[in-house]
Amino acid sequence: MPLKRLVGYVGIVIVVALIALRVAGVSLISADGSLLSSFSTTLSIFSTRFLGIFIEAAPFLLLGTFTSGLIEAFVSREDIARLIPRNPIAATVFGAFMGIVFPVCECGVVPVARRLFTKGLPMSAGVTFLLAAPVMNPVVLVSTYIAFGFGTILIGRFVITAVVAIAVGLIFALNANPIEVLRPTSLAPAMGGSGLIDGGNLIKPKRRPLGEGLAAAIQLAADEFFEMGRYLIIGSLLAAAMQTLVSEESLRQLGTGPVQSVIVMQALAFLLSLCSTVDAFFALAFAGTFTTGSILAFLTFGPMVDIKSTLMFLGVFRRRTVVYLIVLPLLMTMLIGIWTNLNLSFR
Amino acid sequence: MELSQPHLHHEHERDHEHHHEAHNDQSDMLREWLKVAVLLGLGAYFIYNIISGNLSNYINVRFAWLSYVAAALFMLLGVFGAYSLLRPKPHEHNHDHDHDHDHDHGISWVGLAIVSVPLLLGTLIPSRPLGADAIQGVNMSVVAVDETLAPTDPATWNVLDWLRSFNMNSDIHSFDGQAANVVGLVWRDANFAENQFMVARFTISCCVADASPIGLPVVFDDAQSYPTDTWVQVNGNFRVEDFRGSEFPVLYATSIEQIEEPEHPYLYP
Repeated sequence: MPLKRLVGYVGIVIVVALIALRVAGVSLISADGSLLSSFSTTLSIFSTRFLGIFIEAAPFLLLGTFTSGLIEAFVSREDIARLIPRNPIAATVFGAFMGIVFPVCECGVVPVARRLFTKGLPMSAGVTFLLAAPVMNPVVLVSTYIAFGFGTILIGRFVITAVVAIAVGLIFALNANPIEVLRPTSLAPAMGGSGLIDGGNLIKPKRRPLGEGLAAAIQLAADEFFEMGRYLIIGSLLAAAMQTLVSEESLRQLGTGPVQSVIVMQALAFLLSLCSTVDAFFALAFAGTFTTGSILAFLTFGPMVDIKSTLMFLGVFRRRTVVYLIVLPLLMTMLIGIWTNLNLSFR
Repeated sequence: MELSQPHLHHEHERDHEHHHEAHNDQSDMLREWLKVAVLLGLGAYFIYNIISGNLSNYINVRFAWLSYVAAALFMLLGVFGAYSLLRPKPHEHNHDHDHDHDHDHGISWVGLAIVSVPLLLGTLIPSRPLGADAIQGVNMSVVAVDETLAPTDPATWNVLDWLRSFNMNSDIHSFDGQAANVVGLVWRDANFAENQFMVARFTISCCVADASPIGLPVVFDDAQSYPTDTWVQVNGNFRVEDFRGSEFPVLYATSIEQIEEPEHPYLYP
């Protein structure tokens, strides 16, 4: 199973990174006092920082998984398909805002998008939905607001996400041959695809009774909490380790270059695969030392593309399409981030 | 790839179940119970933080309601999980065997270990707010977010209020002789003279991830007898003088009292 191996590799990379940080940090920490007492102090600071991020983020992760469970249990694909405009450009723009009704993070969005494709949803709208929904939804609005307040980061995050997602969607609208873009299992049956994701469900859409639906939603929420929780916890451990062990001075060096800082944050966004509902709290740890453009790049690129969404994309799209879905948002958010750093100044 | 569809296999499930090996079933059950235990444990941990007041070591108490939500949802998930494991299983829809697919195996053990990390750190390591050891450098220039400072009595101002009003006031010399009474942590670095330290606080707006240390320079003859990282209440008057190369109000203490850690260790801007 490639995911298992990948998680293993990521784990090893993180452990090595932590050890490297520890080595880099030792000289800083043993500056005063004995090594042992400084270790317990460091552990205590590390634990406080980690738990701070976790305690603030956990409620949002839970709300996200509950929402996802409820959608899964109660919303049928027909309900969604009925809402989409017929005009391709209108559908693309509409796709960017569908997240307001279906607040899913980047993990929940892929299965939903795939289900929509099998219903014959226009390529462009589906791609835009896929890229935008993890940010353009009320849960992320609230978590970003709580982390950063109302200001540049909040507005920038939503505007950039909408612009990039619609732009990529329109590019797909130009080359809208689903057969070349989608894997056969994601194609609508009318296009010659098997289109059978969940067996008989396609033929007889069933609406569940309330009690049974709620029970299923809670079950799904619990499973998804464990699925997504580990990405959150690994990310929080790394953020806390970084804050505790790496001196602010060296962080500032890494985080001040207008180009370099953006690339560093994008790499982190991809590797950490944080859930979009909670990544604002992670980014907050960097906000003091990293450039505004790099924080914006992190908060816009991460929700669109990361390790786990790439794996999920491979289940929906053909390989070449997946490359486009990674490279286009990467370059766009990178350019916008760098442009922001060079042209706008913030206090 | 079945990654994206972990939960829609009830139909197949019924067939699989019958030729399921016994030891697999046992290990699945154990894992399911551990999941329930972790969920209930996290719920209990949140409730404990709320009741003990430790929550203020981690987050801005303005967002304490989020932790109430988290505690309730963890408990709901845990209790429901326990209930569905205990109840006699109906044959129609067996939700408890969702994990029969190999993508869920293996990872979940690792995942379970990872998800219990907050529980382990939260219970094994005594809860402490960030202290002087977490300070690498103190910020003395604080931008006032809202330009109108509440017209309160300066005698009640904390470190943050003072720094804000220094920042807002164009004539720094107007603070000469002004009396102040502030609470904070003792912090010093190698550059401090024997009679100096910094009375420092952390400000947090969301949680400790954005903690930022701020402080006022203090001069007191007996400064040495207050070790770094102790909480003190400093009474004195400002004298505007050269501090680290610029004119700054330095608090000349008339009395310093060692105090208990305040209920809310952080200041909220």
